[in-house]
Amino acid sequence: MNEIMIGLLNVVSPFNLLVIASGTGLGIFVGAMPGLSATMAIALLLPVTFGMDPAAGISMLASLYMGAMYGGSISAILLRTPGTPAAAATVLDGYPMAQQGRAGKALGVSLTASLIGGVISSIALLTIAPVLGKVALSFGPVELFAIAVLGITIIGSLSSGSPIKGILSGVVGLMIALVGMDPISGTPRFTFGQMYLFNGISFIIALIGLFSIPQALRLVEKDDAVKKAVSSIKDKMLPTFKELKSMIVTILRSSVIGVFTGLIPGTGGDTACWFGYNEAKRFSKEKEKFGTGYPEGVAAAEAANNAVVGGALIPTITLGIPGSSATAVLLGGLMVHGIMPGPTLMTEHSLITYTLIWAVLLSNVFMFLEGLVLTRAAVSVTKIPNLVLAPIIIILCVIGSFTINNSIIDVFVMVFFGILGYFMDKINIPTAPMVVGMILGMMLDNSMNQSLLMSDGSWMIFLRTPVSAILLLIALISVLQATPLFGFIKKRLKKTTI
Amino acid sequence: MFKKSIWKKAVISGLAVSLMLTMTACRTTNQPAGTSKVESDYPNKPITVLQGFAAGGGSDQLAMLTGPYLQKELGNTLVNQYIPGATGAIAWTQLTKQTAADGYTLSITNTPMLMTNYLMNTEIKYTIDELTPIANVVTDPGILVVSKDSPFKTYQDYIDYVKANPGQLTIANSGTGGDDFFTILQWQKATGLSVKMIPFTGDGPSWQAAAGNKVQASSTNLGVVYSQVKAGNLRALAIYSEKRSDLLPDVPTAKEFGVELVAGSSRGYSAPKGIPDNVKKKLIDSFTTIAKDPAFLKGLQGAALPIDLKVGDEYAKYLKDQETEFKAIWDSVKDTIKK
Repeated sequence: MNEIMIGLLNVVSPFNLLVIASGTGLGIFVGAMPGLSATMAIALLLPVTFGMDPAAGISMLASLYMGAMYGGSISAILLRTPGTPAAAATVLDGYPMAQQGRAGKALGVSLTASLIGGVISSIALLTIAPVLGKVALSFGPVELFAIAVLGITIIGSLSSGSPIKGILSGVVGLMIALVGMDPISGTPRFTFGQMYLFNGISFIIALIGLFSIPQALRLVEKDDAVKKAVSSIKDKMLPTFKELKSMIVTILRSSVIGVFTGLIPGTGGDTACWFGYNEAKRFSKEKEKFGTGYPEGVAAAEAANNAVVGGALIPTITLGIPGSSATAVLLGGLMVHGIMPGPTLMTEHSLITYTLIWAVLLSNVFMFLEGLVLTRAAVSVTKIPNLVLAPIIIILCVIGSFTINNSIIDVFVMVFFGILGYFMDKINIPTAPMVVGMILGMMLDNSMNQSLLMSDGSWMIFLRTPVSAILLLIALISVLQATPLFGFIKKRLKKTTI
Repeated sequence: MFKKSIWKKAVISGLAVSLMLTMTACRTTNQPAGTSKVESDYPNKPITVLQGFAAGGGSDQLAMLTGPYLQKELGNTLVNQYIPGATGAIAWTQLTKQTAADGYTLSITNTPMLMTNYLMNTEIKYTIDELTPIANVVTDPGILVVSKDSPFKTYQDYIDYVKANPGQLTIANSGTGGDDFFTILQWQKATGLSVKMIPFTGDGPSWQAAAGNKVQASSTNLGVVYSQVKAGNLRALAIYSEKRSDLLPDVPTAKEFGVELVAGSSRGYSAPKGIPDNVKKKLIDSFTTIAKDPAFLKGLQGAALPIDLKVGDEYAKYLKDQETEFKAIWDSVKDTIKK
């Protein structure tokens, strides 16, 4: 308890506050730039923090992570271009809202949901981290397989309109995920002798192409008349108390989903946003409104991705296990500061750790305040004529995809997916299921093979562990929910109760 | 109207800045191939250090710890360039095939991936013969760990179990073709026993699977699990080094049990083949000097990375010997793994 108070006192020093504020601001900016991800920004900022006191340096990196999770939604809403992979689900309802001239409201909802998600995850980090940390270890290949299967059922709910087209897109995504070195045998698959393809096709690169390039082309095709709706923003940014009340259940649910997704090593904001969105839709009474500019859809995705930050930090500080790729880079940062990441963080280095936790909590406040100011400015982006905006989006895509691995081939791959996305859009095949397929395909393939190696090829291994059996059951229900059979049973049940 | 023109300006300057960024980014990757003429004032410009892995990983850790001291010794800046992909093969292909041999581009070279990449995949064309090995800096020895509540209390318990249940014990490694993968194969060869190898995607997932009792053991590296062993989350049964480590003096070596196995993962620096002799000498001398610097050694110790300085020809011989050994191991097992 004592360390907690010392940590709090430490964090409110003027320098630390400045560092957290600037980290958060930088995070929002980086997050809003399509292609620049939180992970990359943390890696780039890492050397800057070497000169600082370890607590301040790490706090800055963590607040950047928090800021970027909100920042991603700015471009997702205004440009239909997710700033970070974690904001991909925000596009689905955020951009339609902006098109209806409610960009300010969409951003306000996103900011509020981000704040609540972030605060909830920070409180979890501060209070029950040691208990939750152990959960991370209970996720092995068998459980990860079940999560991946459950995740794939999301494709069904993303296929508004034609389920066949959605499934087609999802399956292509899963197949693309198979490109690269087979994780079990080390044999290259579908690489055609190209070394570039050994690591597979990065879903981040594909995502930039699939979402952003078609949008840039659409902007050029459209005339400015359509755009006018966006530039006239008259509504208030922050949601009213009544609006908030209607969304609070969704926000809380997404926050819990986010904390747990963050907790599980190997899954981060890019998965959490889809899970949050999907569950919000599943429990909603107005399912058909999702995807048409429904504020709850924005809130569901945004609460989830900010809640990931605290969640991912839980195993990071209690066990030294990074809960997401961004926290993995953060751990690298600790090492350079001469702190061995691991269980000693809570004991030997408790001062640094508690300063970090308070910094994460405080970064939410800064995110909210800075978000309010920056967002007002950001909305003006919609005033830029389409013909100017479109090339800017393309330039950002090129820079973003290049800087991830310093690879020009990545840029070509991004353009390829851009053109693919444009034509998919023309024939009304949704691109979101493809991204979900790519994110989960690798995990599905790897965890399934690992599990089957352990069980000597017996599929029963997936039903023997309670966690995976339950997750697989939920997945089965999700599939049945979409079939006529489920509606039939529901009707019968209703009749009998009446 | 005024507002509009400000926006225009902002957009235009934003465009200019981003274009400039793109141009500088391109410049650093496609450095014009210089001539390899002998330079007496080497280094008179910054040196690029290629890294085949993402920022924040093990190679980066070495670069961050070594960089400042090396920079001081050489008297010029080191610039890290990350080219992750194909377990380092993209960076090493670039180093061997597309880089001028002038000493202004080096790469961190990690064993055994440096060799196993091309031994296992014919698509990867470079070999270590196209390198000038400069200096190996650290060798992180292999270590066998189990969960804290595992029934195996000692290495002997473990051996007895594997003997009684051939091919049944599940053991995690950091990935097919990685150092731990080869360590287990070497262990099987040395002991004549067999275990069930489960590949994971990296060192972290490998030890975490053991800590969570998802697998019965994990073959990993000392530096990776040192803090976990210290905190009691994992139990180390044996270390695959010549003698016991100062960091964990209670952990016996496999040799003490009659298992002739010394294995681990080494990280050092190499240049392309054919760099000028004076440049090579200058680089080797710098590494020899910093390896005596107490502050540098303390940094390595803090990261649980045991120093293992091998310079010039000694490093080259070490790589060559390993290449021969890994080729033999891989040839003997590849048909069973690549089904």
